[in-house]
Amino acid sequence: MSSLFHSTLIPCPSPNWREVGVRAEWRTIMLRIQNVTKTYPNGTQALKNVSFDVKDGEFLVVIGLSGSGKSTLLRCINRLIDPTEGKIFWDNTDITIASPAELRNIRRKIGMVFQQFNLVKRSSVMTNVLSGRLGYVNPWLSLVGIWPEEEKKKALQSLERVGIADKAYNRADALSGGQQQRVGIARALMQDPKLILADEPVASLDPVLSHSILQYLEQLNKEGITVICSLHFLDLVHRYATRVVALKDGVKVFEGSAQEIDRAKFKEIYGEEAQEVRAASL
Amino acid sequence: MEQSTVTNSRLGLSGLLSAVIPGLGQFVRGQRYRGVAILLGFLVMLATVVWYKNPLWYASPIAIWLWNVWDAASARQRSILLPVLFGLLAAYSIGWRVVGIDFSKADMNRARMIVRPMLRPDFIQERRERNTMWVPVQVPCAPEPPKAVREDGGKKATAIPDCGPVGETIIVSVSGMWPNTETNVVWQNPIGNSMMLGEGETSMLVLTTDENGSLTTAIRVPTTALVAAPDPTLPQLHRVYFDQYRPIGGYELSFIGNEVLKGALATVAMALIATVLAVLFAIPISFLAAHNLMSGNPVTYAIYVVVRTLLNILRSIESVIIAIVFVVIVGLGEFAGALALAVHSIAALAKLYSEVIEGIDPGPIEAIRSTGANWVQTVRYAVIPQIIPPFTAFTLYRWDINVRSATIIGFVGGGGIGFLIIELTRVNNMRGLSSVFIAIALVVVTLDYLSAKLRERLV
Ligand SMILES: Nc1ncnc2c1ncn2[C@@H]1O[C@H](COP(=O)(O)OP(=O)(O)O)[C@@H](O)[C@H]1O
Ligand SMILES: [Mg+2]
Repeated sequence: MSSLFHSTLIPCPSPNWREVGVRAEWRTIMLRIQNVTKTYPNGTQALKNVSFDVKDGEFLVVIGLSGSGKSTLLRCINRLIDPTEGKIFWDNTDITIASPAELRNIRRKIGMVFQQFNLVKRSSVMTNVLSGRLGYVNPWLSLVGIWPEEEKKKALQSLERVGIADKAYNRADALSGGQQQRVGIARALMQDPKLILADEPVASLDPVLSHSILQYLEQLNKEGITVICSLHFLDLVHRYATRVVALKDGVKVFEGSAQEIDRAKFKEIYGEEAQEVRAASL
Repeated sequence: MEQSTVTNSRLGLSGLLSAVIPGLGQFVRGQRYRGVAILLGFLVMLATVVWYKNPLWYASPIAIWLWNVWDAASARQRSILLPVLFGLLAAYSIGWRVVGIDFSKADMNRARMIVRPMLRPDFIQERRERNTMWVPVQVPCAPEPPKAVREDGGKKATAIPDCGPVGETIIVSVSGMWPNTETNVVWQNPIGNSMMLGEGETSMLVLTTDENGSLTTAIRVPTTALVAAPDPTLPQLHRVYFDQYRPIGGYELSFIGNEVLKGALATVAMALIATVLAVLFAIPISFLAAHNLMSGNPVTYAIYVVVRTLLNILRSIESVIIAIVFVVIVGLGEFAGALALAVHSIAALAKLYSEVIEGIDPGPIEAIRSTGANWVQTVRYAVIPQIIPPFTAFTLYRWDINVRSATIIGFVGGGGIGFLIIELTRVNNMRGLSSVFIAIALVVVTLDYLSAKLRERLV
């Protein structure tokens, strides 16, 4: 099993590869997606034999039309959805066969950010952020709603990092869309994640806000957190991705650097009819 | 030309068919639904008119019949406005007669007799001090009756003769009472029931003491003095009471006021207990009645359908009607009322709760799961916060409704303030009723306001 990871060459001292300029192929593979297929109970084949590796410190962007399987792919990684076939390796363990306890331990190292933010709307921002820590704290105390002081401090720090510490005691639904997504990022940060899965994190936001949210993710990525993010707009892909995987009808149709994706390639991935719709973003 | 003749003869035929059986022409022409509707409408109209036997109303089925023939014989469909109008007209005039609307029946005098005392609700009274004295009187006479004389703290009461049968005239006198004060003279039988001694035994005998605090009067042993006696021939000691009252400043709850207050509290408490009981049952049941949880496989779906159906049936029965059943099972009183309210509320709440569960946003659930939280933590942090506020709001609303229902559940013996209404109506106590009405209005309005305020904060 360890032979899978023979590409582990150098344990890198600085997490900031992009700046240090460590060659991509030297980095550790942190996640290996291997022949993953997902068939929903109603027969829909959302993923067909998808394989790729994710290396430590990447900002991997997944693109593809709506319905191409991006959300399914991201949810297979932390097993919010169980893949029908295939393996997913994380730190030498196969996520797809992890026991419930193992799975929770894996999940708490993988933060997730959602298109619809998925905050508990009636709870306070603080509670939402603290809940990112549920995998670490004493379960009994968390059930009665008691949080250690240091966790509260950590939550405020996370909120500070995304610039909305002053909203800590507001109700989550009192915040604007951009602010809610920042709470979503703060919640993921509470997990001390090694990986952040972002499922179209900016699809519900306007372009200006999109950049501000993606810049937070980029900042985290520079600090050493690997990011897998699905995106829709080509300019965002070019701006933020270190590598791109494209899906079409559940099949991986492209894997490579963002620069390789030009108009023609984009059209190929998105199909002819997408041309006009996407023109503005090209 | 020829074609139009054919069409015309066809139209004539369908008109003829409709003349024989209303709607048949339309039916044959292919307008099945319309034909059946016309026939049913006509028959119902005809049956009602024949049943109520008013020659004038025959106009309505006749008009519908005529319209039906006209419609069948016309190339295009005629507006159904006309027959519907005729139907409504007939229904309304029948309704008028059935309800018996007759404003001349209203009796202003009786209305005044009821409304005037209601303007002075019996709730509080001046605080009074009581000065009382009594003398024993034997009914009927024993061979050697005890002396009808009694002394107590400077007061003295006597009766002559010492005993007598029902209807006997007795001279009673008392001295040592407060001077120049109105005094009620009342008969009391051995088990403590009071009887009035005034005109026709339906009014209070009220006299005023002289300047020495004495009075003397003739009374008649009341005809009802022995109704409660096990053996009317057995001599027993009754009492004649002399009661005086004088204000000592301030106000207090009157006897009725006290009852009203107790009734109002019992009503609110009954509703509260019923609501709490209902919540306990409704929460688990609501999960079985939630479509999103139960539609996964055929077995759970069958359970869902059964539970939903039962809830719908139960919800359609008013709690007052359920109370009739519980009064038989557990006896008169608040317990029966609370059970009835609870049963109705279980059905109502379970439905509302299940709709809340159906409306849960799955987003936060997957978000919390993805943090590595376990199942209980996920429920605690993603599900509970979503359902608690609407559950609480619906529960408060239910309590509010239950208080309203609890006020009338006493009509069938279910306890609470409604029982007081029945009692007071029986003895024609309009002042008491009036304070009951005011109490109900206050309780309902207050709870309505409170629950609305609280619910506002929850959403
Ligand atoms: N729970 C589900 N049950 C059945 N089919 C689903 C479910 N979720 C997604 N799908 C289908 O799987 C395909 C991929 O969906 P998804 O992963 O959401 O794509 P994307 O995120 O790229 O829009 C789509 O055809 C979608 O209709
Ligand atoms: Mg998606």
